[in-house]
Amino acid sequence: MEQLEIPSDDYINPGHLGCPGCGASIAMKLALKALGEKTIVVIPASCWGVLAAPYPQSSLDVPILHTAFAAAGAAASGIRAALDLRGDTETTVLSWAGDGGTFDIGFQSLSGAVERNEDCLFVCYDNEAYMNTGVQRSSATPFGTQTTTTPGQDWKKTRKKNIVEALAAHRIPYAATANVAFPEDMIRKFQKAKGLKGGSRFIHVLASCPTGWRVPSEMSVKVSRLAVQTNVFPLYEVQDGTTYILNYKGNRGVKDYLQLQGRFKHLTDEQIDQIQIQVDEDWDLLLKKVG
Amino acid sequence: MKKVLEGSHAVSEAVRLARVQVISAYPITPQTHIVEAISEYCANGTLNARFLCVESEHSAMAAVIGAASSGVRVFTATSSHGLAYMHELLHWTSGARLPIVMADVNRALGPGWNIWLDQTDSLSQRDTGWIQLYCEDGQEVLDTTLQAFRLAESVNLPVMVVLDAFFLSHTYEPVEVPDQEQVDQFLPPLSPRIQLDTANPFAIYQMVAPSAYMEMRYNIQVAMEQVTSRFSEIEDEFEAIFGRKHGPLEAVQCEDAEIILATAGTTASTCRHVIADLRDKGEKVGLLKLKMFRPYPTDQIRRHLGHAQKVAVIDRNFSFGASGIFAQEIKSALCNTDVRPAVFGYVAGLGGRDVTPQTLEEIYRQTKTSKIPKDESVWIELNQELVESWSN
Amino acid sequence: MKKKQTSKDQLPLFIPRSNTSTQINKTGSWRYFRPLYEEKTAPCSAACPAGEDIPRIEMLVSQGLFKKAWETILDENPLPSICGRVCFHPCEKACNRGELDEPIAIHSLERFIGESAISSSKSADLKKLPNNGKKAAIAGAGPAGLATAYFLSRLGYQCDVFEAQSEPGGILRWGIPAYRLPEDTLKKEIKRIEDLGVHIHCETPVTEALLQKINQKYNALFIGCGYGRPIKLRIPGEESAHDGLRFLHQIRTGGKVALQGTAAVVGGGNTAVDVARTLKRLGVKPIIVYRRRRQDMPAFEPEIERARKEGIELMELLTPIRIEEDPGSTSKSDSSFKMTLQKMKVSTKEIRGRARVIPYGEKTKTLQVQHIFIAIGAEAEVLWHLPSAKNNNQLTLSHSTIIEQEIPVVFGGDLTNETKRVTDAIASGKQAAIALDVYFKKGWDSIEESLVNCRVGGGPALSMAAYLNEERNNRKPHIVSFDEINSDYFQSAPRVISPTLSPDQSVRSFSEIEATLSKRAATQEAERCFNCGICNSCDYCRIFCPDVAVMVEEAERYINLDYCKGCGICVTECPRNAMALEEEKK
Repeated sequence: MEQLEIPSDDYINPGHLGCPGCGASIAMKLALKALGEKTIVVIPASCWGVLAAPYPQSSLDVPILHTAFAAAGAAASGIRAALDLRGDTETTVLSWAGDGGTFDIGFQSLSGAVERNEDCLFVCYDNEAYMNTGVQRSSATPFGTQTTTTPGQDWKKTRKKNIVEALAAHRIPYAATANVAFPEDMIRKFQKAKGLKGGSRFIHVLASCPTGWRVPSEMSVKVSRLAVQTNVFPLYEVQDGTTYILNYKGNRGVKDYLQLQGRFKHLTDEQIDQIQIQVDEDWDLLLKKVG
Repeated sequence: MKKVLEGSHAVSEAVRLARVQVISAYPITPQTHIVEAISEYCANGTLNARFLCVESEHSAMAAVIGAASSGVRVFTATSSHGLAYMHELLHWTSGARLPIVMADVNRALGPGWNIWLDQTDSLSQRDTGWIQLYCEDGQEVLDTTLQAFRLAESVNLPVMVVLDAFFLSHTYEPVEVPDQEQVDQFLPPLSPRIQLDTANPFAIYQMVAPSAYMEMRYNIQVAMEQVTSRFSEIEDEFEAIFGRKHGPLEAVQCEDAEIILATAGTTASTCRHVIADLRDKGEKVGLLKLKMFRPYPTDQIRRHLGHAQKVAVIDRNFSFGASGIFAQEIKSALCNTDVRPAVFGYVAGLGGRDVTPQTLEEIYRQTKTSKIPKDESVWIELNQELVESWSN
Repeated sequence: MKKKQTSKDQLPLFIPRSNTSTQINKTGSWRYFRPLYEEKTAPCSAACPAGEDIPRIEMLVSQGLFKKAWETILDENPLPSICGRVCFHPCEKACNRGELDEPIAIHSLERFIGESAISSSKSADLKKLPNNGKKAAIAGAGPAGLATAYFLSRLGYQCDVFEAQSEPGGILRWGIPAYRLPEDTLKKEIKRIEDLGVHIHCETPVTEALLQKINQKYNALFIGCGYGRPIKLRIPGEESAHDGLRFLHQIRTGGKVALQGTAAVVGGGNTAVDVARTLKRLGVKPIIVYRRRRQDMPAFEPEIERARKEGIELMELLTPIRIEEDPGSTSKSDSSFKMTLQKMKVSTKEIRGRARVIPYGEKTKTLQVQHIFIAIGAEAEVLWHLPSAKNNNQLTLSHSTIIEQEIPVVFGGDLTNETKRVTDAIASGKQAAIALDVYFKKGWDSIEESLVNCRVGGGPALSMAAYLNEERNNRKPHIVSFDEINSDYFQSAPRVISPTLSPDQSVRSFSEIEATLSKRAATQEAERCFNCGICNSCDYCRIFCPDVAVMVEEAERYINLDYCKGCGICVTECPRNAMALEEEKK
């Protein structure tokens, strides 16, 4: 593990309504540790819409603008424009959307914002389904997953959308993946992103969801870590859409990752092999880009 | 200084004079001239503002919501499908109590695709909590836009300034464009009631339980109820500086009228000529030009229409399964009064079809010769051949 | 009546806007399980006869807190510089790290800590009870006696050690050669014990007369005289052979010896190996003759390996049956001997893990040598033999036997220990000290129970820190296994290699073969330690807590039970099993 100082201040309060073991709350905790108090967070409809707490409470010690589901990218752009006009170029505008608000309904406004190279940090905390509304599938749901809208034998037969690649194609200054089980790496990336002011930065964080993934709550960090160790969720960075940096080389079979989770319980050995082939393909592609 | 401006540019001049700080918009005919002009002001430094060329109208409204929440004066403009696309966020803006000003160019909704005048787009947003002000000519557009900022910032409600597609947006007229100093006198810089601030962090627009939601909604209505008096005061201030006043509606020769024509937008201009002609012929006719639609000026409607025998409402819009919307609202306003006219609803000029003086005379004639309305809404000058073509 | 508002008056806004934090929601009520910090026992500590708190020691070294690490050793073992050199280190065999890559070089670290302390001349801050007015007599200044004196002093007893030889140390001085344990190191380690107020009276053997005085003037007696009498082969011609232990003693006193040619060293224990390697350094060609096989030799395997590398031959499965003067020799100065050796073979039966050997028929072998050394073991002097009859007032413990006489008498060290090694002798001393203290404070019947209460893991090692009710007393006896270590947190790293002389260089003198680790090497090696079962403030429990419910105050961690939802992440992620999850009591 990297020897990085993890900042000790927290900007998240206890007493929030996250499920026990919620990976998304660990993600926010680590993100804000890295970004500090001069951060304004935009939260579209998502688990964090609830985690941020209902009126009259707030679970964060930084300002939050709640917006409609599709609107995070644009709302963040608006805040940025206003701050710049008021002479504040220091405050980080953090768009904090779930996979729905990034990959699906929010994709348009995110793509629009980063095409304009808006000076914001766009983060997707990805629990791989519409968890807040009850575990329905999203385009971030991996191949092989059972959700409430891909139940039983109708488990999701299409691959997870590769959001980092989609955004790297916009040639933004910085895109990266991060994982709550690798806190030093995650904090490094958030601090790096914070420092790369002037353009769009995107970080895709895998945020385990014990409730939706059907893992015991105490395995929340371990299962996140396995995603990286099995190359299902590689840790890497893309600078300017062209330079790829690989942060970790996993060497475990996907079965180690899949067998821990109830959402994959139905898979046969052949289907697991199929998933292994897909993961290997994607990994080889990534290695080619790393060069 | 008097300039010859098309209606769109009356809007953009007002936006410039109002020292708007963030504009975000998506182009749609016939709003495009508004935003193109503003883009140029931003590019050449005439206006010290940021123009966000977003990728959709929904994002345009989201962006100005974000900017307004951060304490700057904002503006957007749209039309028709663009307005419909933003619908969710129109509700959001009023619930968020943000003083956003938007120009809507009244255009028909498809299919079929139709870029010309129709009032259904803005009227079908009447439940979203926006103040709606309908303009008749270029001068009124400029004046109303400037007043809109004062009004919005006074009550923390969003204001929609509405102008007819092409008949107003693309028609050149002489317009008195005020000086910047005069406008600065009338419209001081924004003192934001809501401003995201890391030095004083809070969360806004989060979940609200049933125990408080209703009161927040009531708070919006309480603000709406202040609009009429505040608008009047603002118009007085405007008149004191610029010498012009339009009023929340305008009653033309209504005091002794037996029949009153009621309509909004450029149609009102045509009506002025028609009632002048009719008066010359001895007809006791008047015109009630409708401007403020939300909040609904119930008292004024009752006052101006109550004593007439008949009201002929010309709607260039329609709510399917019910009636023309202006007519519906007038009926609703008159319902609980003791003495009230019969309300004749007419649907005319949808999708840019002309409403000529002849059309209006025909409407007057039908109203005069009917004891009671034949239908809740009568569709005027339909092409019978086309109608019959589908019946056979 | 409402005052008419103007357009400039602010309307009251009632909007969704926060004015308080979520801290008012005590989500602790959601819990079914509650995490807690619960330190457990590391396998190395349980394997160490002295019960040293090894995970904590290595943690302190990795943090650069060498003095604290030293004090942690001294809590349980007064002789780190010595044990770091000569202990068989069973801790390393038990080390969990061994299942990931290689065990921690615990003995090298212990030596490093001991040496650091010596060179920095700091004095240790150790818990010491006030003087209780009681006096203890200790017979023998070997490791058992020295340890007893050390521990009893800390418990408040005035100690006098009576030693027959001219210098203290016992086997440490007389039985272990300088290339394994330099005299200077030994002196400094013993001085520290004397600095506690222990008086060592050399050249004062415990005679019958002295025993009687002790019975009158002292409150307790510890007997750790060890095995002084060499065991004989009882074969013809044995008188021509030298005793191995005596030989080593002679070398240590600086006696000059003139030896040349070849020497046979009979035996398989450490003494035999030490004799052979000493001879090598004196220019003699030694041959070790052992009746069993190499793998059966009780000597320390690394020492056997070193001996082999130094060129010392090992002849297995041979035992001498006769020693004769070689008819070929003419004068006493170049005398040589003919040894007749019986060939042995392994029988199918095993006794206590060691192969049983039987003569291989009539097969013999002869060996011509100039010198013969016998090092097949020793036994106690008759006076010190344990009484065979079991009395009511006798308690046999794992490393000592205590008898209630006029004064309580404790036998320990090699006299009682099954495993006759230095660290076991130290364990003896500690056990004796605690047993005596319990006897005086609570009585005979409380001894066994009190000892159980300060066991490390399941015993038999004891912890003085636990006995003195320090933090260590809270350690759970559960021994952490490798499966309970979260190996996700550790990457393979090679074990440190101590700088070592080559065999050629080694045999040229009696200088130490292995050097002490550098500070950097020691710190790096200590960082490999998992710190099984104890908290090393890695902070991952706090980093991962989704509910900000892990609090830290002055390096102490605790769970904020107002908010902890009992998700269990902290317990699962703790790399070293220093936490536990218990059912929430409703």
